[in-house]
Amino acid sequence: MSRKDDNQSGEVGRTLVDFMEVAITMIVYLKGFYPSAAFERRRYMNVVVQRARHPELRDYIHSAASGLLPFIEKGLVERVAVVFFSEDNVPVERFIFKITIKPSCAALVEEGQLEFALRSFLIKLSVSKSLVKPLPLNCRWEVTAYLRSLPQVGSSKEAELWIPTDTKQWQNPPVLTPVKSLNSEPLCLQLYLEHPSLSEPLNLVNPEDVAPHDP
Amino acid sequence: MKRSLGSNSSNNSGSGSNKKSKKNNNPSNQKTLGAAWGAASSRSSFRSSPFSDFGSYMEVKNRKLQNQFETEASAASRGVSGSEKLIFQGVSIFVDGFTIPSHQELKGYMMKYGGRFENYFSRRSVTHIICSNLPDSKVKNLRTFSRGLPVVKPTWIVDSISANRLLGWVPYQLDQLNDTQPKLSAFFAPRSHLTPQMASPVTSFQPDTGYSEAEEGSSIRADDSEEARDHIDDEIDGVYIENTTPELTEQTGTGDLKSSEMNAEGLGNYDIEEKEVSSELQSTTNLHSTSDNKSVHANGKNGGKSIATAAGSSTRRHSTLEDPNFVENYFKNSRLHFIGTWRNRYRKRFHGSSNGLKWADSGQNTAEMAKKSTIIHIDLDCFFVSVVIKNRLELHDKPVAVCHSDNPKGTAEISSANYPARAYGVKAGMFVRHAKDLCPQLVIVPYNFEAYEEVADQFYDILHRHCRKVQALSCDEAFLDVSDLSDVETEVLASTIRNEILETTGCSASAGIGGTMLMARLATRVAKPAGQLYISAEKVEEFLDQLPVGTLPGVGSVLKEKLVKQNIQTCGQLRLISKDSLQKDFGVKTGEMLWSYSRGLDLRSVTAVQESKSIGAEVNWGVRFRDQQDVFILVQHFLQCLCKEVSLRLQGCEMIGRTFTLKIKKRKKDAEEPTKYMGCGDCDNLSRSITVPAATDDIEVLQRISKKLFGSFCLDVKEVRGVGLQVSKLDSADPSNKGSRTLKSWLSSAPAVVQIEQDDNVFAAKVRENSDCNRPVTGGVSRLRESNSEESSIQSGDTNSSLPPMCYLDMEVLENLPPELLSELDGTYGGKLFELIEKKRGKRRINCNSPHVSLDGTAASIKELKSLSVKIHGLSTSGEKEYKEPYVPHPSIARTSNQHTIEMTDLLPSSLSQVDVSVLQELPEELRADVLGAFPSHRRQQSSSDVPKETCKKQDEEPIDLKGTENEIGLSFSSLWFGNPPLWTEKFKVSGNCTMEKLSAIYFKVAQSRPMLSLVLQHAISEMSSFPDAASASDLDKAIYDVCELLKQYINLKVGGDIEEIYLCFRLLKRLAARSQLFLQVYEILSPFIQASISEHYGGSLSIP
Repeated sequence: MSRKDDNQSGEVGRTLVDFMEVAITMIVYLKGFYPSAAFERRRYMNVVVQRARHPELRDYIHSAASGLLPFIEKGLVERVAVVFFSEDNVPVERFIFKITIKPSCAALVEEGQLEFALRSFLIKLSVSKSLVKPLPLNCRWEVTAYLRSLPQVGSSKEAELWIPTDTKQWQNPPVLTPVKSLNSEPLCLQLYLEHPSLSEPLNLVNPEDVAPHDP
Repeated sequence: MKRSLGSNSSNNSGSGSNKKSKKNNNPSNQKTLGAAWGAASSRSSFRSSPFSDFGSYMEVKNRKLQNQFETEASAASRGVSGSEKLIFQGVSIFVDGFTIPSHQELKGYMMKYGGRFENYFSRRSVTHIICSNLPDSKVKNLRTFSRGLPVVKPTWIVDSISANRLLGWVPYQLDQLNDTQPKLSAFFAPRSHLTPQMASPVTSFQPDTGYSEAEEGSSIRADDSEEARDHIDDEIDGVYIENTTPELTEQTGTGDLKSSEMNAEGLGNYDIEEKEVSSELQSTTNLHSTSDNKSVHANGKNGGKSIATAAGSSTRRHSTLEDPNFVENYFKNSRLHFIGTWRNRYRKRFHGSSNGLKWADSGQNTAEMAKKSTIIHIDLDCFFVSVVIKNRLELHDKPVAVCHSDNPKGTAEISSANYPARAYGVKAGMFVRHAKDLCPQLVIVPYNFEAYEEVADQFYDILHRHCRKVQALSCDEAFLDVSDLSDVETEVLASTIRNEILETTGCSASAGIGGTMLMARLATRVAKPAGQLYISAEKVEEFLDQLPVGTLPGVGSVLKEKLVKQNIQTCGQLRLISKDSLQKDFGVKTGEMLWSYSRGLDLRSVTAVQESKSIGAEVNWGVRFRDQQDVFILVQHFLQCLCKEVSLRLQGCEMIGRTFTLKIKKRKKDAEEPTKYMGCGDCDNLSRSITVPAATDDIEVLQRISKKLFGSFCLDVKEVRGVGLQVSKLDSADPSNKGSRTLKSWLSSAPAVVQIEQDDNVFAAKVRENSDCNRPVTGGVSRLRESNSEESSIQSGDTNSSLPPMCYLDMEVLENLPPELLSELDGTYGGKLFELIEKKRGKRRINCNSPHVSLDGTAASIKELKSLSVKIHGLSTSGEKEYKEPYVPHPSIARTSNQHTIEMTDLLPSSLSQVDVSVLQELPEELRADVLGAFPSHRRQQSSSDVPKETCKKQDEEPIDLKGTENEIGLSFSSLWFGNPPLWTEKFKVSGNCTMEKLSAIYFKVAQSRPMLSLVLQHAISEMSSFPDAASASDLDKAIYDVCELLKQYINLKVGGDIEEIYLCFRLLKRLAARSQLFLQVYEILSPFIQASISEHYGGSLSIP
């Protein structure tokens, strides 16, 4: 029976990874980081989503998302952040996916239901333009994952796509703007925005190793 | 007015030329694809989603769509000349379902002519509903569906545009709705919306006389239409008559040249398929009628008739569209089909009887003696022509070509030409038109397949009489290996054979003799016509030196071009290049081939006809499916015919196959209508295959599989230009091998109607009894025993096969089926199944000492159960330990009840007291609500009152225990949100504080079974404009405390999983705070609590707008 659970949570993981790939693309599109011509309309889970046209961008997002799969399957991933930096590498906006997979209940929810729930994220994302801040000039973006603990090195080939990293953090706790929440049995997923709080000093310190983040 | 023709013709959409105009009309084609989905999804499904505010979302979406439409509309009207009248001013349409023209096109029209187009139905904004067809349910409940709005056919819009004014919609009312007067509406909108009927009058009256059946007449029509096209600028008025309403013709009768040009263009854009033909035919007819001057109203039919009869030929329906026997006729008239099937005929005729197999074995040995071998290649001279003309002496030295159709337009391809014709440069594959340019006196003759067959048989009879080793290449071409016939001079033998052939068949043959198959073949080429050539080993080099590389077999135009680029024109030049560099340049195989061919080497040896690897049929000509309601029936019919053909071919070869491949030719996106009339043109080739366990040639299986495969392509049938079905993994159909029958049973689906032997029940139960407990559980229908009784499998004539008699059913499997499936099965067995199971179960219980046996048996099925019973303990005595059990026993089995029937409700425990609260808490909210809702009302009351008290102690998983004060108080708070309706509602109701009472009331008012707090608060804002604050301060304090507690518990419940909900509540609370003293205080108290709680979980604070 436990094996069945594993399969199920694997299934959830794969769905989630697929979804993340789409959602990350949507976020990048939403931010207007690239000209909108760099995206093309696609249908995913029966909603219209955007897909990057440029193969490298697509690859980056794809590999970022699919590289997470082994960690997600192990339940290591706590948060995945899509971070937008200003010119001087200060994060200006972070889209956080907070992920909790409850393996014990994994067998309960059907794929269709999960997809239906995830779909609402994409719908909400597509109308969330008003929530995001305008991009500063010369910005860049990246995907960062926060793990509950450091994974064993070289545990799998795929996992090597991800490297441990330092992240710059705001000194003060950020201001959150929730976008969408899903609280279902195998998967809890919350998407919210983080902005620097108003009292945030402009120059940042670089705190010591915070990623992987320890809760 | 100017667009009238075009828009009429646009009923048939999807042709390449159509596309252009479509694009012009709606630049927005892509932008609203998602609309249909949004409209279709019901509200209830949204309710269960985390997306709670459907209404506001839709509002925003509608507004956005509206804006989009407006900007596009202004762009569109600017883009076009600007002279368009805004005829649809004030009209706002909603398109329901499938229409012709498509809703995108309609949208484009509305955009252009000042109308509005609604993506979502709304009584307020929509003025007309456009649809072509309504389901019965909607017709019956028309008022609910239309809300009193007119339901109009799309032709209304099209015709209005043609008339350039808004026509009354009444005549265009949907036929289904005014059945009383269908004739009238048909009169008002002649043919424009009834395309299927349109074609028939044109075709039906023409006699079916000509010699070449299918293609002949159609091409004539096509030709007519081409003429018509030339004249179209002048004579366009005539077309009008056909395609527009009578009142219109008077206007257009005086039409100026300009408008006719427009129409010509429109015609060019929209015409396709046979509709094209027929409409153009009409244009020709009107060409005549207008030349008669004022007879503008001349009937198109009559005109058409005169033209067609003048052409003096038959008109066959020539595409998949019109001809129900298209596939059959297609194959009847296909030369390739003849050649293909001839092979099987040959194999049957000669392979079995002759000792072919023996020498096939020895053939390998002869390969090493290749140097000594002598091979004759013999080929009938222009077989397809000479067979036809052998009895028509007058044609003997005239240029003659065979073609399936001889028509003045000349878009048919010549399949073979005789030598006098070849002298003019006429070649196979050429269009008749071009051939006639080269040779005006060219005579075109049709195929005569019977004669071909006869001649081919005679031909091979002769060959087999003279030589044992015959390799048939085609019906008119063969290799003979005469190496071991040393007693006869080869050249003499060849000429004997040729003479015999000429005498017997009346056709001349040519022969080439060489040391290898290659040389023999090349020799024949030179020897033709009616000659023979022997190339001895010494002469090979000489012969090859000047031979152009293009003549080598296997060197096509591409390879030839590559070679020419390297300055290699002849085999002599080719021979100068080393094998290595050839292989480097052209690949290992091709290089090797070039190297050895240029030296006259050919390692192949003459072998018998190989068993074919696959058998199939393909139709790539005349395949057109049009957008119409019964298109799927047409497609199905087409597939059926194709399957029939394939099945016949399989049976012809006595073969059965396992792998079925469906090939589709799909029009390339930018491909125009092909030059070859009804040809497939530029296509993408798609193919999918399926392999079944047992080989078959059964037509029904083929049909089902091909239907499935076709469906899996998910393509627009209008784009299909060719379909082929190939069967591979062939087996010989041994009569003892009942492949199709096994397959049938494999494909059979369990629920089907069949008679049941009722007496078997008791017997069955006993028989199965012993083995039951040991049997591994592998749930699923597949375990239902297949019936092995011959009768029942025969009885199942069609796709459904019979149900096994009940005695063969495996009880264990049955019990493990999900209840839905079980009840379905029970239905097919007429209700006997449940009885059987019950009987069975009773006995088992006696037999099994340990209850765990039955529990284990059910565990698997429980996992599969979708029903809510999964999480509910059936055992009223459920102890602490069992919470951790990975599975939950099936209640109805675990309980030793003696119920006689299983019903869904019985899967639930009789009262909530038997429900495991911890399990219940774990359930997602919607599910929990459903579970609780499933209890009868008296049970529900229990749930809100006594259950929590009983079960509170078990709830330790939620960190709700706030105060840590007296156990009982804390716990009673902790359950404020427990139950359905939650406890607080009861508590608030009797609190005496009107605000709290109101909250409770709102909770019940909100329609959802278990609304989120945010929804309650939202309603509170809209409903309570002002909050009367409690009179006394102490009352207020208590109320504040209670509300705070409620919210805090809610936040604690939700903070981990649903930050969105907290955010919503937080903001709503803030808005409430502006109106009510109570909520202001609550907000002030809770604000830091919320932020702290959020900060604890998410490391930040909520942004407050």
